[in-house]
Amino acid sequence: MKFSIPNLKTEDKPIVIASAFILVILAVGTAYTLSTQGSAPLLSPGYLLQQLQTGSFLGIVAAGMMVVILLGHIDLSVAWTMTAAAMMATTVGGEMAIPVGIAIGASVGLVNGFGVAYLRVPSMIFTLGVDSVLRGLMVAHTGGFAPQDAATPLMRTLAASKTLGIPNAIFVWLVISVIIAVMLKRTAFGREIYVTGNREVAAYLSGIRTRRVILGSFIVSGICAAMAGVMLAGYSARAYQGMGNAFLLPAIAAVVIGGTRILGGQGRYIGTLIGVILIVLLNSVLSIMQMPEAGRQVIYGSVIICMLLVYGRGNRVHS
Amino acid sequence: MPIDVPIVKLTGASKHFSGTRALEGVDFLCRTGTIHGILGENGAGKSTLIKILSGVLQPDAGTVEVNGETVRFSNPTQAAAAGIVCIFQELSLVPDLSVADNISISAPPRKFGLIDRRAQHRRAEELLAQIKCEDVDPNSLVRELSLSRRQMVEIAKALGKDPKVLILDEATSALTSRDVETVYGLLADLKAQNVASLFISHRMQEIEKLCDTLSVFRNGQHIETFAKGAHSEGEIVKLMIGREVTAHYPPKPAPAEKPEYLKIDRLAWEGQLKGIDLCVGKGEIVGLGGLDGQGQKELLLGLFGVLRGLDGDIAINGQPCHPASPAQAKSAAMRIALVPEDRKTEGLMLAMSIADNLLAASYDRISDGPFINPDKARQAVAEGIAKLQIKVASPDDIVSTLSGGNQQKVVIAKWLMTDPDVILLNDPTRGIDVGTKQEIYKLIRQLADRGKTILLYSSDYAELIGCCDRVVVMYDGEIVSKLSGDAITEEAIVAASLNVGTQASTAAAGAHHG
Repeated sequence: MKFSIPNLKTEDKPIVIASAFILVILAVGTAYTLSTQGSAPLLSPGYLLQQLQTGSFLGIVAAGMMVVILLGHIDLSVAWTMTAAAMMATTVGGEMAIPVGIAIGASVGLVNGFGVAYLRVPSMIFTLGVDSVLRGLMVAHTGGFAPQDAATPLMRTLAASKTLGIPNAIFVWLVISVIIAVMLKRTAFGREIYVTGNREVAAYLSGIRTRRVILGSFIVSGICAAMAGVMLAGYSARAYQGMGNAFLLPAIAAVVIGGTRILGGQGRYIGTLIGVILIVLLNSVLSIMQMPEAGRQVIYGSVIICMLLVYGRGNRVHS
Repeated sequence: MPIDVPIVKLTGASKHFSGTRALEGVDFLCRTGTIHGILGENGAGKSTLIKILSGVLQPDAGTVEVNGETVRFSNPTQAAAAGIVCIFQELSLVPDLSVADNISISAPPRKFGLIDRRAQHRRAEELLAQIKCEDVDPNSLVRELSLSRRQMVEIAKALGKDPKVLILDEATSALTSRDVETVYGLLADLKAQNVASLFISHRMQEIEKLCDTLSVFRNGQHIETFAKGAHSEGEIVKLMIGREVTAHYPPKPAPAEKPEYLKIDRLAWEGQLKGIDLCVGKGEIVGLGGLDGQGQKELLLGLFGVLRGLDGDIAINGQPCHPASPAQAKSAAMRIALVPEDRKTEGLMLAMSIADNLLAASYDRISDGPFINPDKARQAVAEGIAKLQIKVASPDDIVSTLSGGNQQKVVIAKWLMTDPDVILLNDPTRGIDVGTKQEIYKLIRQLADRGKTILLYSSDYAELIGCCDRVVVMYDGEIVSKLSGDAITEEAIVAASLNVGTQASTAAAGAHHG
């Protein structure tokens, strides 16, 4: 495969490539269903909306993850932040369920941010440690069994109901997307994230409070993960052990496929949106094609690596 | 070997980068046993020329001949094998490896296939001794060395490759004056050994003093090659920039007592600053002189709130202040700005746009609440670009596409946007072209005339003499001499830098702020 896209900013190239790849996935999937079943369910609005609904949980996690990756850091604690937020929300129940869940996420972010920004522990290690601590705490909280508490009606409504035929989860994802996109593009905090992610020393010497920026970004990531956890609990009607485990790697992959530089400083939010859609569709098409789990994993991983190889060409930042 | 075959010869060499031409039909030759100076403003094509010679880039057209044979280097290793070795402007050392490891990095001495550490150590010692850097321990990490020492290690590394043609690209810009003398001596030795040196520098005196042949480049073209002395300094500058240069430095105003604005009292930090007392008046330019690494950088960083555990008092306009971070230093209470030493790592976000870089210190000025006001942002960027006459195609271009001089202007413009009262400048003209240097000198004077308080560190003595109302010379963390008016001479600064204290400097110091 050879791509040549003239007159395109390096930042936008991954976005175009990923969008094109989404079309490829849809085309391949449709060709498959046409030849085997004689119909094209992939292109029906119902199917696409359902995919977006499934994708919204991943999308919300990825939105927060992107903010942290823009700083050149990473948040490996999202899986158990999701679970912890969901479990505490269902435990508390009632009107306070969602606020408690989000508060859990914010506190996890605060701890992560404090460790990375003030204690200067590499984020990869610190957030991994926090993830493990959270897992321990949740096992202690539930005694290792599936919790019996059910999701509140509001959680159910947000995650599983529809308005005007469109799943509410998509609206929540949309609102969070708009908030994150505006924050990155139009607020001083957002610009400071990019500046700090590009070169922390220069940002600090420009009088930017870089430690606060890092702290704030981890809080954003924690809140997003918590929100996704609460929604997922609403969707499944309850919280369960390890419910967030399937989200960590896809969230990172979505951000990176969307063109955010893993070392920080570059990336557009629209790219992350497209990255999420790509991953969700890829998964879904592979399962429609009745690919066995093993083959799915191999293809899924190879696609991520290949896309990054394609982006990498001529994209080296000289410093 | 016939004596008139040039060691290096370029014929019709051209190189283009996405539409802009970096070199156009250049014919150039260099002979053995010469020290060949290459002059030109930034963007004149000097760097491209040496990158082609040293195998980093390949010419789009034209040929390279070494010793009469046409060659085509596809990488620097091949060029080094042919005897062409380059010391690049950007340091190429690995900070976390030892000096000895760095020196032998491309071809370490081996024993049974493994690196022979002892031989490597010996080799490093020999090479360092050759450039009189015995004080550098081959086992110490490069990270721990000062910029000047690192540059010397870089030179040792190049010597280790046994060059026939040695290219020095701004290799002396970071050196202390003592090391510069050592390098001069070294080049003279190499000349005697029939090695050709290509010497690129923005310091005219250096080229005048050192080189026997000079080549001038402008706009990617080779303008003229001539023997030293064929043109006067003024004529050379004219050749370089294609226009007449009247004065190097803007005229200084008559010395006058300035109201005290920045007062530093017994400032001390971890043995690197030992009780600095200094007053800088409103509208005054005070220069910091001395050898590299005598505490000048620490003094500026300390004033800017970067250093922890600073002792002593700082007062601005009579108000005591203790900036604990750059964010506090730039706040309305203090209004301090710092143009840092290394623009590529400390001053700029190289991968970001010019606009983003310009705005990085002034988000509070262009925001309404948490939101950035795009109109204010656009206006601020336009003003910054206009004020410093930064040559940009579009403010959305990536800042690393600019020439060094324009990059430095971006750093300065970024700080002027915050409307600072105290401006700290750490070697602001290092490695930038003559034209931009003069613009910066003029700007510094204008800022002082508008009542800004300016502290300027420069490794170039001529700059201190030409720009500053007063000069204080630092040695080993202390101010050893305060010079003003006519007492600011090269002799006095050099003497004080070496802490040998001639009559003139002590007398001047006694006369002022005794």
